[in-house]
Amino acid sequence: MPMNTFHTLAQLAQKISSTRGNNAKIKLCVEYLSGLESDRDVELATQYLSEGAFSSVSGKKASVGYRTIATLAAEFCEIDYELVFKPSRTATGSSSETIQRLLENIPEARAKWKAEHLTLEEINDIFESLYITSKRDLKQQLLLNAWKKMTPLEVKYFIRILGQGSLRIGFETKGVESAIAKTFEKNLETVRYARMITGSVGKTAVLAKHNCLNEATFKMFSPISFMLASPIESRAVSDLSEYIAEEKFDGMRCQAHISGGKVELFSRDLNHITPSFPDIIEFFSSRDLPDTVLDGEICVFKDDTILPFQLLQKRMGVKKPSEKLLSDYPVLFITYDLLFLDGVPLFDDSLIVRRKKLEELANTYSIPITSQMELESKDDMEDLFKRALAHGNEGLMLKRKDSNYEYGQRKKSWLKVKKPSGSLDTVMLYAHAGSGKRGGTYSDFTLGISVKEDERYEEEFIPIGKAYGGYSDKELKKMNALIKEITLERFGPTLLLKPQLVIELEFEDIQINKRTKAKFTLRFPRFKTIRWDLSLNDVDTLKDVERMYKEKLSEERERQGKNPSFVFKN
Amino acid sequence: MVRIRKAGHHGILLPELKIGLDYSGSKAEHYFVSHAHADHMPRNRKLTVYATPPTARFMKLRGFGGEVIELEFGKPLETENARITLYPAGHILGSAMTFVESELGSVLYTGDYRTPPAPATEGFQLPENSIDQFITEATFSLPIYKWKSEEELSAQIHNFASTSLKEGYTPIFTAYNLGKAQELMYILKELNHPIQIHGAGFKLCGVYEEFGFPLGDYETYNRETCEGKILITPSSALGTGFASSVKKKRIAYCSGWAANESRQTQLTVDELIPISDHLDFFELIDLCEKIQPKKVWITHTPNPKVVQYYLDQLGITSGFLDLEGDGQ
Repeated sequence: MPMNTFHTLAQLAQKISSTRGNNAKIKLCVEYLSGLESDRDVELATQYLSEGAFSSVSGKKASVGYRTIATLAAEFCEIDYELVFKPSRTATGSSSETIQRLLENIPEARAKWKAEHLTLEEINDIFESLYITSKRDLKQQLLLNAWKKMTPLEVKYFIRILGQGSLRIGFETKGVESAIAKTFEKNLETVRYARMITGSVGKTAVLAKHNCLNEATFKMFSPISFMLASPIESRAVSDLSEYIAEEKFDGMRCQAHISGGKVELFSRDLNHITPSFPDIIEFFSSRDLPDTVLDGEICVFKDDTILPFQLLQKRMGVKKPSEKLLSDYPVLFITYDLLFLDGVPLFDDSLIVRRKKLEELANTYSIPITSQMELESKDDMEDLFKRALAHGNEGLMLKRKDSNYEYGQRKKSWLKVKKPSGSLDTVMLYAHAGSGKRGGTYSDFTLGISVKEDERYEEEFIPIGKAYGGYSDKELKKMNALIKEITLERFGPTLLLKPQLVIELEFEDIQINKRTKAKFTLRFPRFKTIRWDLSLNDVDTLKDVERMYKEKLSEERERQGKNPSFVFKN
Repeated sequence: MVRIRKAGHHGILLPELKIGLDYSGSKAEHYFVSHAHADHMPRNRKLTVYATPPTARFMKLRGFGGEVIELEFGKPLETENARITLYPAGHILGSAMTFVESELGSVLYTGDYRTPPAPATEGFQLPENSIDQFITEATFSLPIYKWKSEEELSAQIHNFASTSLKEGYTPIFTAYNLGKAQELMYILKELNHPIQIHGAGFKLCGVYEEFGFPLGDYETYNRETCEGKILITPSSALGTGFASSVKKKRIAYCSGWAANESRQTQLTVDELIPISDHLDFFELIDLCEKIQPKKVWITHTPNPKVVQYYLDQLGITSGFLDLEGDGQ
């Protein structure tokens, strides 16, 4: 079979998925890439393996929702969506895998597809058509025609690539970068730099193929991946004086590219969010800045107070915000880093150098920038941390003074200091079979809250979150012993439990999520304590969750006052 | 028709006939054990039960303290108001379906079963007389489950073992101690390579040999000498030091659940071998269509409605035997 078919790529992905060990995976990918001849095939293949149907800087999306795909699959297989597709999806935990297996297994479906060995370019044409088609039924028609020409294996990866997400084969962009470096005998750092600069794995691969990686230079309006922070718990800090502290804002990370009157904003996942924030665009475009790229945070700011992230959410994703929305939730872009100034990238400069330039820029053009504080002791950190919380912020960021801007990486140059947002007493409802090292034990748990006296529900308990950790090995063992006794029913790897065991759950935040039974989800839930001492009557209720959510919204927030989180000389 | 009552996790009771099927309660007079897996053996260890000769041996070896009266396949037992005959279920060695005939009608209780049968079993056979009520497990009751052929699976098993050995790795198959472990050994014996099996499974292998299923060149697991052998163990033992002395090893997870790709990362294994000792969804529907019982009772599944939906389309009446209460 020719190398440039989509089926060959799908087979490679499957092989990578079932192979353990990063080097072995990279080796498979190198063998594959070496066999591709045309530049276009190299570009598409590497892009599909790491980015998706479209390059992440293209700004394009196929915009095909889960339901569009799932209902089409049910129709294709002539099965009932609610009754047959949904439980199948629940059993595998993956809609694309479910669709692959249904297309393989169900005779009615088998009769409809025939492998036509589409090329990578033909697949690209299908993605492009999906991009320019907006109606759901037309998108479904395009998908249907495509699936008829593919094997179920191809369909699985087609769906994953279409989603612009991970292929879930344990081989992310980093692996593809390594494979590109190996295939074309280039230095991995050079490849990675070119990828960040071009914003495209496919383009990088072609540059590498032609020995032209040095042509990759930073361009305005192509976002570069953000530098990320590690939790301070995971890193021992020996000398606090090597770091500078800033408050960690209760807002949304953003990269602003400004050139003359043109301003573009990019979110942390490098999506284009310019249309949602005309007030920020106006703010920057009126300032006559030199060519500038800023890293910072968008916050709702009113009456000299930073308002909760939940209010900012009302502006996120709104493409044409109304006058009322703009005046109800006014936002500010608070800058903390300068990545590019007047034609010169600054990633390789130290934080001190970048900061100095940023301060000059902020002074000249009146831009809000973070307050930076020196730290001498843990006590200093404690005081600043409390002040940050009083401002309504999440905690502190510690940044190493001598660090470069490590785009796309999460290392220890930036550390975040956060306080868990809250805890709930929950009851264990389901146990899920072991992940990884904990194979053979039940290590993941669905926890519930009480709705016993809640007229909106018939159940006694409903799920509020799933927790994977926070317990010791000894506690896990003890829980597993109890679980055996309280199992009511077994669903493959999942056990339905008699509600009995009370767990104090710690989490970062409560968010509204209409798709769940409780209509709320917890961010980063994990075990705090197993409450062997508590009984079902002690389990917190949905009303408690609703109350906590409201309280968080209306928490008193200190005005910026005399020790502000940021400086803005207007 | 015969009344059927599910007694929670304690099996099934036919109250009028005082027959218990994998039943642990006190309301039966005649107890039948379908096979020697823990979830089917009576919890009350003092009961007197009927079972096939291999199942009787396994039960004793696994600590059952009561009396087991051996009942051969196809040899009916008469009680005051029923006739009970055991038929091979194809799940593990000795596994039986229990066929109950009475004036109230007939019931076939499958226990766990597989058709086509698993290789190291007495096969799969249905009663010739008509079946009024068919109580079937439906562990893999979704159309995502369709097993590969025995040839394909055997090839995958052979290939995993020989490739690992060739590349200097010790292959480890994780499988349940009784049934799956011996089935693997039965398939692997063609390779003529020494096998070591975890102690709990080892003590059960003799029963297979006794009943005519040679399992090849095997011995009990020994930490000092296991490197380079083919190893078989329940996955729980991997967490408690099994073969921890061996640096270069590869692990294959052998179970029907291995059909789900997520198992690979969940369990951190090198290979998923979806070999099941239950029948798949399509085999289940086909079998019901072939038997055409007056009523199909479904148990052991989170998705009874899926099976019922397909049976409805075939005009076959069905119900779900929930944890408690009478089937209705």
